[in-house]
Amino acid sequence: MITQEKYRSKVKKLLADSSVKMVIGYGPGSTADRRRPLFVRSFEEADQLVLDSNCIGNLSGYLVTEGLLSDEKHVAIFLRPEGIRSLNILAAESQLNLDQIIIFGFDSIGREVNSLPGEHAGEFSELIESIKENPPEKSREPLLYQIEQMNSQERFAFWKEEFSRCIKCYACRQSCPMCYCRRCIVDSNQPQWVNTSSHTLGNFEWNIVRAFHLAGRCVGCGNCDRACPVNIPLRLINARMAEEVLESFDHFAGMSDTQEPVLASFKKEDSETFIL
Amino acid sequence: MTKILFSDKLDNCVTRWQAAGFTVIGPVTKETLSSYAAVEHASDFDLGIVLPDRSLKELFFPQTEPMLRYTIKQQAINTEDFTPPSGKRLIIGGRPCDAAGLSIDDPLFGWDYKDKYWFQRRNESVIVTIACTKADDFCLCTSLKLAPDSTNGSDILLRPLENNSGWEVEELTDRGREAFLAIAELLLEASEPTAPMAVVPEMFDLDTCVAWLQNPENFESKFWKDISMRCIGCGSCTYLCPTCHCFDIQDEGDTYSGIRRKNWDSCSFALFTMHTSGHNPRSTQSARWRQRIMHKFNYFPGKFNVNSCSGCGRCSRQCPVDMGITETLQKISTLHS
Repeated sequence: MITQEKYRSKVKKLLADSSVKMVIGYGPGSTADRRRPLFVRSFEEADQLVLDSNCIGNLSGYLVTEGLLSDEKHVAIFLRPEGIRSLNILAAESQLNLDQIIIFGFDSIGREVNSLPGEHAGEFSELIESIKENPPEKSREPLLYQIEQMNSQERFAFWKEEFSRCIKCYACRQSCPMCYCRRCIVDSNQPQWVNTSSHTLGNFEWNIVRAFHLAGRCVGCGNCDRACPVNIPLRLINARMAEEVLESFDHFAGMSDTQEPVLASFKKEDSETFIL
Repeated sequence: MTKILFSDKLDNCVTRWQAAGFTVIGPVTKETLSSYAAVEHASDFDLGIVLPDRSLKELFFPQTEPMLRYTIKQQAINTEDFTPPSGKRLIIGGRPCDAAGLSIDDPLFGWDYKDKYWFQRRNESVIVTIACTKADDFCLCTSLKLAPDSTNGSDILLRPLENNSGWEVEELTDRGREAFLAIAELLLEASEPTAPMAVVPEMFDLDTCVAWLQNPENFESKFWKDISMRCIGCGSCTYLCPTCHCFDIQDEGDTYSGIRRKNWDSCSFALFTMHTSGHNPRSTQSARWRQRIMHKFNYFPGKFNVNSCSGCGRCSRQCPVDMGITETLQKISTLHS
């Protein structure tokens, strides 16, 4: 509560001296434990801000809303460490200018909310470094171990079953801060590269395309997993890809705004054993 | 005295219906997701949930459906129609909002062209609905002038007994009566008190909302932008909705052979209205959200005299950013037109 009050007055101060045009945070949702994205432009809206352990969604995707930052004004945003990492990636991929973003960093353990010191993305680099070196306990799910124990046929059957529920609503894409393409490959229909049908083939095509596009970019914020209306455990795919990229290329997504995208860069020491 | 179906007889009923040629379908929970699915035994049903995550619509209008197979050879184009899989189905344990959703979409699918895929399935399905004795924070049937025991779209309505031992049977249509002949001897004549219906508070005054929507001045209202600012444009509200019915027709294959399919589509997607020229008449998410609300409560009733919403609440229940029809109409009902 104290943190929440502190932030409300901080937000009002920024709005009062026109340091920012908007603050993206969380407001009360339709039930007691739901929080919804809130766009604060007035003191009245600032009083609705909520900051507690139920503030889970990664809001950074809203920053690339068409036109939001084109006036070069500043925007403040509430972000957890994963959100700060996705912000770094958006900057590294030239989607936004970090100078325009003021960060209200926070994290929570249980119901306790802690504010993270710093205002600009660069100030959080030590924190991100420490997360890379010491990933929080329990972050690797038992299901991931189970899937690893499967042989390729069992694994294929597992994902076939999971993807069979996919209805191609693209909520995973829309909720993902990394899926900012103005025109996604599945929306390119001349020719239709990826089947729009949600049959087995179409569902595999879509989910595999997305997994590859997120390799080395996914920060594990969980937006896609929570958004999926048919509860496909999408986090598992992305978590596995992140491990693969870390192991092979020592790449931890979102370290800084100068980090090169792992699948679009090349180093001599890369272990590409398949190239002779 | 009314007919009572006791729950300990339900498994026998399932067997009888199966013997009579019906595929028996009902609410089933598999791991973390509930939907309407075929069952072997009554024990497969999950009748304790408020309503399944996925709606009844998809049993009549599946997310992808083959329509025809084409082959093109020199000087010859051959097409072969797919017909929907046929067979009698008995769907038991559907909720009144889901059944009402089917009756809302009937005039749409039968308007200028009679959609054979929809109507073949409709004609071969018996809908046995169970009235609701519990609701959650998102249920809003009463706001849509429906109720936890509405009969729209149902062939049979079952009212849970107070002591939870079964259901009072209300036969509504000949199709329902005929299906229940197969289990006639398993029903008992008795007078048992029925359980009180779920209390679903009215969330907004529908007439006030409709009047506001019908006022052309409100089409360009700032309200639309404010309410939809956090909408991320995923289509999950439309895909889980029991009445949303938009589809796209796609040819899958190549120039010489392939399959033409009918796939769900959604007004939430930018591509839905994108012209070949690149111009998009609904270029913003707020225009798309406005369309969804206008269609359900202004255009659709204007044409078919019924709102395209049965109050199941799925749109709000599962929205990743906590939006939905309830919030929008609640806010509209407080605006002055």
